[in-house]
Amino acid sequence: MKRRHLLTTAAALAAAPLALAHAQKKTTIRWWYHFDDPASNPAALVADFEKANPDITVQAESIPWGGGADYDNRLYAAIIAGNAPDAAMVKFNNQPRLIEMEALAPLDSYIDGWSGKADIAEDFWRLHRAPDGHRYYLPVQYVVLYLYCRQDWFAKAGLKLPTNFEDFTAAAQALTGADRWGFGLRGGAGGHDHWASLVLGNGAKLSKGGLTSPAALAANKWFIELFTQRKVFPPSAPNDGFVQTINNMKSGRTAMTIHHIGSANDMQAALGDAITAVPVPIGSTGGWSSFGDGSNAVLAQSKSRDAAWKWISYLSTGAANVAFNKLSGQVTVTTSGARDWNVQPARFLAATTASLKMAQVLPPTAQTADFTRTVWPQTTQKALLGQITPDAMMQTFEKLYFG
Amino acid sequence: MHARSLPWLLLAPALLATGFLVLLPVADTLWLSLHDVILYRPRSQPFVGLGNYIALLDDADFWESLGHSLVWVVVAVGLQFSLGFTAALLLNRAFPWRGLARALVIVPWALPSVIIGLVWTWMLDFNLGLINTLGLRWGLLDAPVAWLAQPGTAMLAVILAVVWQGFPFFAITLLAGLQGIPKELYEAAEIDGASTFNSFRNVTLPSLAPVIATALLLRMIWVANSLDLILVMTGGGPGTATQTLPLYAFLKAWSGADYGHGSALAVVLAILLLGVVSTYAARANR
Repeated sequence: MKRRHLLTTAAALAAAPLALAHAQKKTTIRWWYHFDDPASNPAALVADFEKANPDITVQAESIPWGGGADYDNRLYAAIIAGNAPDAAMVKFNNQPRLIEMEALAPLDSYIDGWSGKADIAEDFWRLHRAPDGHRYYLPVQYVVLYLYCRQDWFAKAGLKLPTNFEDFTAAAQALTGADRWGFGLRGGAGGHDHWASLVLGNGAKLSKGGLTSPAALAANKWFIELFTQRKVFPPSAPNDGFVQTINNMKSGRTAMTIHHIGSANDMQAALGDAITAVPVPIGSTGGWSSFGDGSNAVLAQSKSRDAAWKWISYLSTGAANVAFNKLSGQVTVTTSGARDWNVQPARFLAATTASLKMAQVLPPTAQTADFTRTVWPQTTQKALLGQITPDAMMQTFEKLYFG
Repeated sequence: MHARSLPWLLLAPALLATGFLVLLPVADTLWLSLHDVILYRPRSQPFVGLGNYIALLDDADFWESLGHSLVWVVVAVGLQFSLGFTAALLLNRAFPWRGLARALVIVPWALPSVIIGLVWTWMLDFNLGLINTLGLRWGLLDAPVAWLAQPGTAMLAVILAVVWQGFPFFAITLLAGLQGIPKELYEAAEIDGASTFNSFRNVTLPSLAPVIATALLLRMIWVANSLDLILVMTGGGPGTATQTLPLYAFLKAWSGADYGHGSALAVVLAILLLGVVSTYAARANR
């Protein structure tokens, strides 16, 4: 009996180093994420991934967004402190800063050897290539901005849904009336997407001299005069943010506004078939529809890059990517997932995919974050209120980007 | 030796906490303000001396924010004091349900600033706000007003919100002061034939003067430093119409990631407030 006990103990002791080695092999990775709806929780995705990869534990950390500044600054601070997550959700506008900090791990070799690569359209890979030629971002979600239209009001007024700026202006004016406005402008933070569609798509260009050319100044003057002269935006437009523009549309105060498929289910619930979406108008510069990107990156500080890549590539693969986008309210980047996409009504997905051909992003330079967060809202609001001229507004933007 | 070191030993925890939590951040802010510190360029933080401060002299936004701060502090604290003093005088009188009224008056002071900002943003909303709805219904307005989207009304709106938040501080503080005035002083004034106004002028005001001065100084410091209400309600807009100095410093440092410039703004604000703080400290030490 005693000998048997000794043998058992010896066997246990002999096995201990093996068990220890096994335990040490388990890798924990930290992943930072943000969803518009804070109630969305990726726990089920994490559980599925960990089941398939028992040697990896994913610690998903929800980081407050705060208009982008909160998330970005926390990420920069974590990188400087040497405590960066292994992987994080990222956007194009912070890529130049992250590259400057040498904070991103190049993903070229991972992507080239990845079986899921072919399931993501070439357009995404084109947009996700950094200025230095490397690929640091793996697309996980996307939206393209489109134009919401109250199709019942258009039909009643005998108007066709706008495809160009002449139709857009005529409709905005015709549909403006008592307590109702033709277009709901987002003049507060985040409204640069509206301006880009209406000005960069109609004569202005984001290249040296392209913001102060005669065509650019004319396009911007027209844009500002939609508020100051034609009065087709609500008087609250200079300070309206996302919530106000969406609520104005849902409560029947505005006939058109610009947003993306992320708000489609809300719009459908509020207005039913009265609302539809079409690509933003196309002007002399071929139209501009802001590409709302969402990617994952592996941080250069990570000591578990392979495990971090496994996790982010899982999130961009087929069914997992569909599940991820059900949480984020955006659109799958996979071709296979898009085939049976039924998260939002089909007409909104159709407007999204039709807008892809004119999808654009702001320049991948350090100035873009300043432009979107402070320079655009402050300068545009001043122009809308008549404190500066529309031309001075464009000169401010030209100076910021091109000196 | 032991008797001399004992006080320092007893003070050590408080001194250590103050050193780490106050003096160290202040020293760090001063260091940042003398360097070109961009958060996403951690390897390049060159010493620029007073460069960040000199740049402020040519910064139109700085001067505009300074002007807005002056309006913000003087008007907001002035209105808070007037409203709070009136409320204190009313609450000092006997009337039914006075206990309940005294409890309710503290509610705005007890609410977090962010909640107050959101509540007032919705009340002032152009389309769905209570202020426009009631104004139109009662015939006070011809058309809805975009309160937060016009430079003149936006500043008024944020001041209105901070007045609502801050007047209970004056009401409660001055009420405590009023209750501490001996009744005999009023009786003597009445025997001397003083009218109600004369009693107020010659008894109430002189007796309350120390409390009023301390409350005003404290509130001026708090209001001058506060940016949360403005950040929530207007973000400093429209344009820069409601951008005060602390908000400008915050936006420079946090949104713009320019900690050198932002720290210089914070130091300037601190120096400006130092006058008020030293007056308060001198009073407190009397």
